[in-house]
Amino acid sequence: MIKYFTCIISGIWNLAKGLFVTLKNVFVKPVTLQYPTQKLEMTQRYRGLVDLYPEKCIKCGQCVKICPTACLDLSVKAGEGADKKKEFGHFKYNMELCCFCGLCEQVCPTQAIYMNKIYEIAVYEHGKLHIDLLDKDKYDEWANPDVK
Amino acid sequence: MDDTSLKEDIGTEEFWVNMGPQHPSTHGVLRLELKLSGETVVDGIVHIGYLHRSMEKIAENRTYTQFIPFTDRLDYLASMNNNLAYVLAVEKLMGIEVSDRAKYIRVIMAELGRIASHLFGITTFVQDLGAFATPLFYGMREREKIVELFDDVCGQRLTYNYMRVGGVSRDLPNGADGKIKGIIKYLRPKFDDLEALFNSNPIFTARTRGVGVLTASKAVNYGVTGPNLRASGVKWDLRKDEPYLCYDKFTFDIPVGNNGDAWDRYKVRMDEMRQSLRIAEQAVLGLPEGDPTVKAGRIFRPEPGETYMRSENPRGELGFYIVSDGSPIPFRMKIRSPSFSNIAVLPDLIRGLKIADAVCVLGSLDVVMGEIDR
Repeated sequence: MIKYFTCIISGIWNLAKGLFVTLKNVFVKPVTLQYPTQKLEMTQRYRGLVDLYPEKCIKCGQCVKICPTACLDLSVKAGEGADKKKEFGHFKYNMELCCFCGLCEQVCPTQAIYMNKIYEIAVYEHGKLHIDLLDKDKYDEWANPDVK
Repeated sequence: MDDTSLKEDIGTEEFWVNMGPQHPSTHGVLRLELKLSGETVVDGIVHIGYLHRSMEKIAENRTYTQFIPFTDRLDYLASMNNNLAYVLAVEKLMGIEVSDRAKYIRVIMAELGRIASHLFGITTFVQDLGAFATPLFYGMREREKIVELFDDVCGQRLTYNYMRVGGVSRDLPNGADGKIKGIIKYLRPKFDDLEALFNSNPIFTARTRGVGVLTASKAVNYGVTGPNLRASGVKWDLRKDEPYLCYDKFTFDIPVGNNGDAWDRYKVRMDEMRQSLRIAEQAVLGLPEGDPTVKAGRIFRPEPGETYMRSENPRGELGFYIVSDGSPIPFRMKIRSPSFSNIAVLPDLIRGLKIADAVCVLGSLDVVMGEIDR
């Protein structure tokens, strides 16, 4: 019988202790954001979608070689000018395969390939995941979700 | 038909029930086949393989650097520690020495990763026992601080890909050491708060004390490692017993349990987080200067041979066995994951318990299916 009552008393005491912890948190500022209206700013090193400065690229193909999931596809042709400077054939990025590891960004000797800050990357169409990195407007829709 | 014959036909019998793979408290896609007699578990069979991605075969087709992002996907709650275990194995194979700053940064990251993982492990365990949402949200809030730091350091919140063979991918950003000190200061009282919620809670103690007792000899025989082994009273921690990196320079204790029940497994994890804070604090105070980074594009060609390297992950001993034939890709890689051995002991522990206690034992073992199925 004594045990029964001590159990009840200790239970109430521990309930009070637990409630005290929750009470302390009632007056703390919320840590969440109201997502669609408020958005979190990505960190400086955030690894979003793969992006390219075509003018910086020297077409060395190191990013293609190091990609663990082979999501980059680069083809290079000899230029028509007198110096035969290499020119892009195509530079495709298959986002379906990308694992956002950032190795391409780190291996690039001229910082031409980099990862941008876009994180809302859901799409309705399968084909939209196959991206042409040489296209200037490729991420317009993702960067400004309101644009249709 | 008369009444008596009908009564004779009615009896009880044992039956098989599937728990999972979509059950909320199976911590991933684990399927437990339970033989029940009423509410009591008579026997249990663990079915794994729903998350199999053939990581070991993938490793045979990737260079040593290319496989680092895949190790993130083993135990996805402690990616930093997986990265570390893998690069340590390759470094051992290559005989590479790492700079002091890289070692210290690795220790800080590994210990913070351990805290993040344990916070998640403990709070989901408590949620399995019926403490809906509140402790889990508190745990997630504290974990968020660590995840934000990792996001600052390497640019991702879950799959870090931070360690490199020979160092780390990037140095700490400006002001990161102050931020780490801030996190340590912030977390200490929060652990007390979490303990105030659980430690003397009559429901939590009644549900965990004496439930799922794992004896020391059984734990050793099954190859159980990590907090689950230490909860059974075996003082075995690779950071102390086979020090890697610079763990021998830090003072910390190894928390050990007495009975090996679910309560001890919870308590060991709770105490371990405090010890991890101690290590991280010492490491950040003694952080040496230098350049910890290495070039990502380097191709490694180890001498033909084999190596095995293990390190202490939040869930136990993660080992990588690598065979090299002198080419830039491994000839064979075997991953010894802690959760795989830890879950093997589950049928033994749940025999004779009620279903609700089976959930408690599974939660207290804190397994992650990502590294069981690999």
